[in-house]
Amino acid sequence: MLTITGLGVSYEGLHALTEVSLEVGEGEFVTIVGPNGAGKTTLLKAISGSVTAQAGRILYRGGDLGALRPSDRAALGIAHVPEGRRVFPSLTVRENLELGSYRRAARAGRASSLEEVLALFPILRERHGQLAGSLSGGEQQMLALGRGLMARPDLLLLDEPSQGLGPRIVEQIFETIDRIRRERRLTILLVEQRVVEALELCDRGYVLETGRVVLAGARDALLADARVQRAYLGAGA
Amino acid sequence: MRQARELDARRAAARGWVAIAAVVAAGVVLSFVVQERYHHRVLTLVFLWAAMGLAWNIISGYAGQISFGHQVFFGIGAYVTVLLVVKAGLSPWIGMIAAVAVAVVAAVLIGIPTFRLAGIYFGLATLAYPLIFRIVMDWLGYQEVAIPMKREQPGWFMQFTEPRSFDLLALAVLAATLALSRLIETSRLGYQLRAIKENEQAAEAMGVDSFRCKMAAYMLSAAPAAVVGAVYIHAILFIVTPEAVFGLLVVSQTLVVALVGGTGTLWGPLIGAALMVPVSEILDTTVGDRLPGIQGVVYGAALMLITLYAPEGLYWRVRQAIRARAARRGVEAARPAVVAPAEDAAAGAPTDKVLLEVRGVSKSFIGLQALSDVSFDVREREILGVIGPNGAGKTTLFNVLNGFLVPERGEVRFLGVAATGFSPSALCRRGLGRTFQVPRTFPHLTVLENVMVGAFVRASAVPVARAMARSALAQVGLSDRADALPTGLTTLDLRLMELARCLATAPRLVLLDEPLAGLSGDGITVMIGVIRSVRALGVTVVIIEHTMQALLRLADRLVVLDQGRRLAEGAPGQVTQDPVVIEAYLGKRWLARMAARRC
Repeated sequence: MLTITGLGVSYEGLHALTEVSLEVGEGEFVTIVGPNGAGKTTLLKAISGSVTAQAGRILYRGGDLGALRPSDRAALGIAHVPEGRRVFPSLTVRENLELGSYRRAARAGRASSLEEVLALFPILRERHGQLAGSLSGGEQQMLALGRGLMARPDLLLLDEPSQGLGPRIVEQIFETIDRIRRERRLTILLVEQRVVEALELCDRGYVLETGRVVLAGARDALLADARVQRAYLGAGA
Repeated sequence: MRQARELDARRAAARGWVAIAAVVAAGVVLSFVVQERYHHRVLTLVFLWAAMGLAWNIISGYAGQISFGHQVFFGIGAYVTVLLVVKAGLSPWIGMIAAVAVAVVAAVLIGIPTFRLAGIYFGLATLAYPLIFRIVMDWLGYQEVAIPMKREQPGWFMQFTEPRSFDLLALAVLAATLALSRLIETSRLGYQLRAIKENEQAAEAMGVDSFRCKMAAYMLSAAPAAVVGAVYIHAILFIVTPEAVFGLLVVSQTLVVALVGGTGTLWGPLIGAALMVPVSEILDTTVGDRLPGIQGVVYGAALMLITLYAPEGLYWRVRQAIRARAARRGVEAARPAVVAPAEDAAAGAPTDKVLLEVRGVSKSFIGLQALSDVSFDVREREILGVIGPNGAGKTTLFNVLNGFLVPERGEVRFLGVAATGFSPSALCRRGLGRTFQVPRTFPHLTVLENVMVGAFVRASAVPVARAMARSALAQVGLSDRADALPTGLTTLDLRLMELARCLATAPRLVLLDEPLAGLSGDGITVMIGVIRSVRALGVTVVIIEHTMQALLRLADRLVVLDQGRRLAEGAPGQVTQDPVVIEAYLGKRWLARMAARRC
């Protein structure tokens, strides 16, 4: 579904990504782990179009995304749930969700999408008239996820949904992601710092370190590979 | 080679003065060529508005503190001289001196509270002062003060009948302001002001006392504005009213002249005035009766065009075009690769002396405990790495160490003396330098000038600072880039330049915030070599990094932070094996998995 070859991104002269190649199959769940500064967020931004790649190609369902604007990419069914949630704090929960179905194809089914999302996140139904800014961090993350789903995407890009959340809430979030995947049969690309939790969810994973893919493999192989630790703690570990 | 460069620099300096002399000579010639009274008036206005634009340019162009209330000094100049004539019969020539003194004092009184505000807030606050003066003048009953005729001593009272005299007087004011601007541009203050304009935090970290420099610039820009105000009243208005001298038209005319011509250079306001004043005067006299207010329309249109096509002003636009043409013609010289200094691990081994003590430092932001009770020592000549996962508090720690932030609890001692509560520039002068995560350059200064800003901490003379900057550039292997602008540099060169700028302050200890981030493998090797050579010179180094690999090659010791706490400290090999550290980076469950695998 998604094929990335030789992707290079640098901003203000900093090389964020160098020669990154990876693949995500239809219906697959792929996780990318790596330490802070590895380029994970940049990778997702390059796919959704909010940063421009200087080198390489991103093919989505066989078509090159290169020249497309972020809104065009969203129209093709790519939804990006950004790092740090980015909900619209002064809008209500319901309004936030409705903005998620801005995409033309999604607009028709807005009512049913809303119903599905609220079924998936009961807490959002409870809070639907509340301002998004007044939600807790975990609830905001649920809202961001829900907003992403409102677009009825085919490919969901998730950027560190666990960021800044307590352990119990993180567990809940990961459970929800797992459920979404099973119920919706979505293709998911997840980027995380929490190695074990994120790898356990996936079919396959990649390890990113200082902008390069240093390791790739199936879930169980990666979970047993001590080299993952090396990406975080260096050769001494 | 070095002598040749110094000679070049001196020649460039001389060229500036020759150009000013040429402008003044041209002004004199014009004043004799022009015959009609009205044309003399236009000439006088060009000279006066150019001088006013230059005065504004000192605080807003060089120092970047946009003042929307600069007519306050213009008005003070006008009122003080006229009131002294009316009340005390004092000649405006003497009155002008008093006016300058009052304006400078006013600048200090306005500056003390207003420089607490940064950026646009400073500009907005300056709007208030002329309004206050208008109200005060009304209240004092000076709604309209006419200059009394002094037929017996017209020269002594600046009441010339010959219009050329006003041309020459205005030209003299312009010449003096040009000279003042030129002196500022080429002095230590000029470099420091431009550094503040381009990046105040970086300037502070390089030892520039930003408050003092801004205040100096404000005082220096108030003085010529007061003189212009005094002369303007005698040459053009003859009657002072609060609206005429403190009103918005005065500052808008000043802004138009400076913005159209270009700010941050003495040529800008000159070009702006030479262009805009005649155009608007001619329009006003030819079609002004049919289209009243045409002046304002033209000014508005000029500002819109400038913002669209030459946002930095005509001077910079033309200069850029000329440079681009020259660059196309010249073949870019091939650049030798940066040679990494020989790595000599044994050089400058750490001593036991504690250079920096961090004791129980805590700092929180709204709802977030960024640092809690962090303590550690930095020993002389060691390379200490500070590591930790995202959000561990590393950059906050640096901001506390170099004075950008004041901790709520705890203390930092540098060289045995308390260092908390001091400004970054004060700590820099005591020998504590730093670099930034994203290189903070002064983009309009050349690489050499960037580094000179650091050198001015130790040197007050420009040639001395230039020599120090050259040697700092040589130290990091960047000499061949001295005359380039930072915008064209690679990440490695930018980081090297920032390091050189920091070294030019002659620090005892440098704080390097992620100096290896974004570098290629070769770049990392070069940077590591340079950092080692810095230590070999006796400078202590503290580095923040999250790319652990490189730090393992570089650091003597590591301090690990996690969620604002000090988690571990020790030799690199030992720290990366520490289960607490592994947990912080990869989580508890990873630790359990690996332990289970090992059994």
